[in-house]
Amino acid sequence: MEGGVGGIGGSAAAMSTGEQWCNAAAVVGATVMKKRKEIRIDESAETIPHFFGFVVFDNLLLFRVVGVVVVGSSAIASGRRFLSATIQLVLTHRANLKSPWSRRRRKRGLYSQQWNALFSPDGKLQDEVKFLKKVRSGGVEPRIRAKVWPFLLGVYGLNSSEADRIAVETQKREEFVKLRHLCAQLSGHSVKAYKKSRKMDSDSDGEGDGVTEVPYSPISDYISSSRQSLSIEGTSPGITGIDGHSSQSIFIGGGSPADASSDQSVSQPILTKGEKSGHSIVSCANSAFREEDKSGIIHADASTVDTNPSDTDSSVEAPDCMHNYSETAISDVVDHYANIDPLKWDSFRSFTSHHTAEDYVAWQRIIRLDALRANAEWVPYSSSQVAVSEDKACYFADSVGLKDYEHLEPYRTYHAARLVAILEAYAIYDSEVGYCQGMSDLLSPIVAVMEDDNEAFWCFVGFMRKARHNFRLDEVGIKRQLNIVSKIIRYKDAHLYRHLEKLQAEDCFFVYRMVVVMLRRELSFEQTLCLWEVMWADQAAIQAGIGKSAWGRTRLQAPPTDDLLLYAVAACILRKRKLITEKYSSMDEILRECNSLAGHLDVWRLLDDAHELVVTLHDKL
Amino acid sequence: MASYGDEEHCQDYLFKIVLIGDSAVGKSNLLARFARNEFYPNSKSTIGVEFQTQKMNIDGKEIKAQIWDTAGQERFRAVTSAYYRGAVGALVVYDISRRQTFDSIGRWLNELHTHSDMNVVTILVGNKTDLTDAREVTTDEGKTLAEAQGLFFMETSALDSSNVKAAFETVVKEIYSILTRKVRLSQEHKKHEVASLGNGKTVIIHGDTGETDGGSRSWCCA
Repeated sequence: MEGGVGGIGGSAAAMSTGEQWCNAAAVVGATVMKKRKEIRIDESAETIPHFFGFVVFDNLLLFRVVGVVVVGSSAIASGRRFLSATIQLVLTHRANLKSPWSRRRRKRGLYSQQWNALFSPDGKLQDEVKFLKKVRSGGVEPRIRAKVWPFLLGVYGLNSSEADRIAVETQKREEFVKLRHLCAQLSGHSVKAYKKSRKMDSDSDGEGDGVTEVPYSPISDYISSSRQSLSIEGTSPGITGIDGHSSQSIFIGGGSPADASSDQSVSQPILTKGEKSGHSIVSCANSAFREEDKSGIIHADASTVDTNPSDTDSSVEAPDCMHNYSETAISDVVDHYANIDPLKWDSFRSFTSHHTAEDYVAWQRIIRLDALRANAEWVPYSSSQVAVSEDKACYFADSVGLKDYEHLEPYRTYHAARLVAILEAYAIYDSEVGYCQGMSDLLSPIVAVMEDDNEAFWCFVGFMRKARHNFRLDEVGIKRQLNIVSKIIRYKDAHLYRHLEKLQAEDCFFVYRMVVVMLRRELSFEQTLCLWEVMWADQAAIQAGIGKSAWGRTRLQAPPTDDLLLYAVAACILRKRKLITEKYSSMDEILRECNSLAGHLDVWRLLDDAHELVVTLHDKL
Repeated sequence: MASYGDEEHCQDYLFKIVLIGDSAVGKSNLLARFARNEFYPNSKSTIGVEFQTQKMNIDGKEIKAQIWDTAGQERFRAVTSAYYRGAVGALVVYDISRRQTFDSIGRWLNELHTHSDMNVVTILVGNKTDLTDAREVTTDEGKTLAEAQGLFFMETSALDSSNVKAAFETVVKEIYSILTRKVRLSQEHKKHEVASLGNGKTVIIHGDTGETDGGSRSWCCA
């Protein structure tokens, strides 16, 4: 699938133009590659219409544009811009696919102008119904996604003013940094990050790529925090030494100090040294929590920090707060976290007592494995992240204890490191769920869209509020979901349902993957995001209590539902009813059909079907 | 399941085989290499189960191996174990460059014995032999464990293809040979037939019902 996209370079400006959205929207999975064609276009006032004309023309010929790659840009200085773009077209028979150029989508999505117009002078969303309506009917224009998603995912309230959001942002940033701190402490990889960062400081003095010049990012923050905490001596016995030994002795309580000096034990979480040490880590963290007062070095009372953010400008505030933070010991980190959200901390503690410590270690391990093999479908949509330097990528990877990434391109390494940082933090934040495979599928697009780890983390938290049930150990959530899909099919198509019963497949297990990773494996990157946006808008509408009447007589008569995804999944199956009832005589065959849907679905058709199902069935369910 | 075709197609066999083992040991790539001669350096984690059917020729007979690829994370076991049912073969896979995955083998075998209704022809597979510098589990260790558990053993590399076909074929051939012995030994029992092997392993292969009468038969060492 990635083969359809030859490569990417060129200017970020080009990526953020309206045309580019259309271009990007057309980058979908190529199924039947027939013929390749290269076309050079000089961008000027005259050629843009030609460009569009060309595309429409192609479209009429039932071809599909699957890749648009900007390979070079130049000469902005003269005021006349020549953008030399090579458009690599992979022409395919469209067959029964609906074009992603669907007029419907282009008309109805939320565009940046509309988005900007929605805000009052004090930064309040003035018409939340209009906002959600737009998103529900056509998704969000890619270049404003990073701004819109925090609203859709409940990071910011729909009624929040700009001031509210700054306060929320500051507080959330604090909390995320603390979570990261806890992760780093539990893993012990901060030691290596420290060493590496020192090396980089001396190596890259005056170079543009120095980590210190990276725009504000929590990753660099928690790195610098661990760096500082390691360099300040005497704040807490045992944790402050800059050598691996004393740091480690904190964590594994009596483990072999020799382990710390080997590279492996540092880059691989120390916890993996066995169950025994894993247990002592947790008990150590717990005892740190219990003995919070004894440490006597609490610099920043969490409640003070939370309620009175001393700096409002987050880009300035960060180092300051990090400074406070850096001087605290692990007990304070734990303490901070406990104060911020006692409920969450309770669950963390219950996780440490109910589960074995091996679980967190296992999560760390699997997170890294999955991060390294995250796919790169996001690449055409995130040019700035693609441009990350190798030094920076390696630095971030080392800082989260990622290894074996040498075979990856820098942007993939960087992406993987960010996935690790956020997933680890999430595993502590929501220890009941921890980490389950599939979660990286959900996070990867968020990381691609959100440049800032903190924002990405909280968007992910918002996403997971509903999605987390799919990943629970007790499987209650996923069973409930499959049961709803089953019901939708039963109400809509009794004949198909009876056939499924005959095959003992009425539990709809065959849609398991579709539900768990929310059609991410079946849809292209862009189409997945559109589906999710529509789904999030539904959930946001319900959250905000926007009732049925608010939607009026639009095409979207379907009231918002929490289960839009399930209707969409059911719609996939219902589309295959003829095949299933006439040709398939075992559950295996249906499963295989479902597993091979990738590249054969059109999200807008699917959503149309899903909305239709919602209209007819939501009362029954 | 091992299903016999209709009387006139009695030479067609379908063997269900499961691939199990920890996350990222290379289960999906073993299957991709075997079934399509492909390898994906960044293959996605398997969510739930997937399967491929591969035709093989053993002693001039066409045999279909239906190979079920399962998710490795512990959390999915409840889901994936449903698919052990009816399996007549299993590849229990670990990664020779990660000891932890080898240490989990016991758990996977327990899992297999608990959820599969019969003694399954099982091969222990140490994958990723191409990572010679990173090896953490020696060949001897693998061999020793396999012998103790009465399993076949092979080291493979899905990346460079070594032994991949052989590993699958070992399982399929063994199932087939058990089946043919069974057929020879008890011609008159069409429905419930038992085949015994010289090495003491006993495998019962049923028709499509997937039922069993020998559920917790213990494993015998060769």
